[in-house]
Amino acid sequence: MLNDKVALVTGGRQGIGRGIAERFHREGAQVTLTGRGVRPADLPDHFSWVASDVSKADEVAELAQGFAALDVLVNNAGIQIEKAVTNTTDADWDLLMGANAKGVFLTCRAFIPRMVRGGSIINIGSISGQTADPGLALYNASKAFVHGLTRSIAVDHGPAVRCNAICPGWIMTGMVDAAFAVADHPDAAKADALARHPAGRFGQPADIAAMAAWLASDQSSFTTGQLFTVDGGLTAASPLNPGLF
Amino acid sequence: MMLTGKTALVTGGRGGIGRAICDRFKREGARVFAADLTPAGSLNTDQSPDDFIRLDVTSEDSVRAAFDYVAGSAPDGKLDILVNAAGIEIEKTIEETSLEEWNRIFAVNVTGTFLVSKFALPLLRKSKASGGASVINFGSYDGFLADPGLAAYCATKGAVHALTRAMACDHGPEGIRVNAICPGYVDTPMLQSFFEGDGSGGDGGTIDSLQQAVRDVHPMRTFGRPEDMANLVNWLASDEARYAAGQLWVLDGGLSAQVQQMKL
Repeated sequence: MLNDKVALVTGGRQGIGRGIAERFHREGAQVTLTGRGVRPADLPDHFSWVASDVSKADEVAELAQGFAALDVLVNNAGIQIEKAVTNTTDADWDLLMGANAKGVFLTCRAFIPRMVRGGSIINIGSISGQTADPGLALYNASKAFVHGLTRSIAVDHGPAVRCNAICPGWIMTGMVDAAFAVADHPDAAKADALARHPAGRFGQPADIAAMAAWLASDQSSFTTGQLFTVDGGLTAASPLNPGLF
Repeated sequence: MMLTGKTALVTGGRGGIGRAICDRFKREGARVFAADLTPAGSLNTDQSPDDFIRLDVTSEDSVRAAFDYVAGSAPDGKLDILVNAAGIEIEKTIEETSLEEWNRIFAVNVTGTFLVSKFALPLLRKSKASGGASVINFGSYDGFLADPGLAAYCATKGAVHALTRAMACDHGPEGIRVNAICPGYVDTPMLQSFFEGDGSGGDGGTIDSLQQAVRDVHPMRTFGRPEDMANLVNWLASDEARYAAGQLWVLDGGLSAQVQQMKL
């Protein structure tokens, strides 16, 4: 689906970003990953790696210099801080909004002029940008920012580029494993969480990558400015405990 | 008093939420017609027969007769407020739902809203000179999010949401505002029947413990009361809401603002 397309995936060290990069490669794309720090030891040779911090304008500008043209930009880099508003520090704000909000803005500003006509920008939003996960105030808000920016870019920069967002639900990455590990009853917590998924399982990075591949491909050439929720049906159901009825 | 000089008709007007709306409208100075299948309604208690209209919202003849009566007895034959609160619930999946049940719930919840609104239009238009009319439909948070085992009910409420926006587009220029309120869990005979239908609940508790568990999922930790619904309906009916049109007003104690509450 993506033969000869040039793609950049931010936050490609692990999890969803790595899953998207692997799928893009299988579809024939030439994929560069970027993240803070050195190239991951386990990253296969067919991927390029550029160390870059998306929250820093000069680093993003330098990253962009390396691309004459780009077909697909995936803004996946993001962090999560588990705090409510009143115990969130200024440093938390700078760190989280720097990566999740400013980072998306900076990469879009730098790369939109370098994208081929009809190129695809794919932002990773979240179901938490639509409804609130408790104790994740800035994370939730940063993802709502991503959703809003997605629409603005689609409106302002179409038809030159398309821009859509994917809103993942519970994808089994390190973040989710950590959440179950600290539960009072990890097994019961996992069973309860599973029961809330009509799909009967948690998501995998490959599930998000499947949507990303479609949005990156010419199959979606009329698709722009939209949010695509991929959550195994989680947010289609009422928040009531499924064991109650 | 927010509704002085206005005339209102409330379908399901002797049921749990409808009756609270009628009571509130009267206190706000409106002339109120309570329309329902029986004077006792789903609360099954008597109330003074003043301005009761026997109405089957699924019957075109019944709806026509009701508005003939209102046209003849309301001041200037004018209607300012219509509340489509009549509704039923069927607690089944689509596999368990018979075609007859499916047609029945659509007849009450969707066709009823259509028919009553259609025959109310000539009376509602007469309100334009005095500030305009307000129609308030009953959607549900179930029109946005699915509760298990309520398939047809969820579908009817989604239909009411779309109909609300369509009516607002078509009839806004005639001075008729159309909105829907979308209740979550409200303490009514319908909710009690829902809990009783589920017996002990999935984890072997009593109805009381089931109800408490459901309350605890709400950010406000309680169900709504019919009076809470009447507070918003009253505002939407009043001239305070003169710029509110075509919207779906969710009133659910914060239930649907959350993502799933995992037991972590």
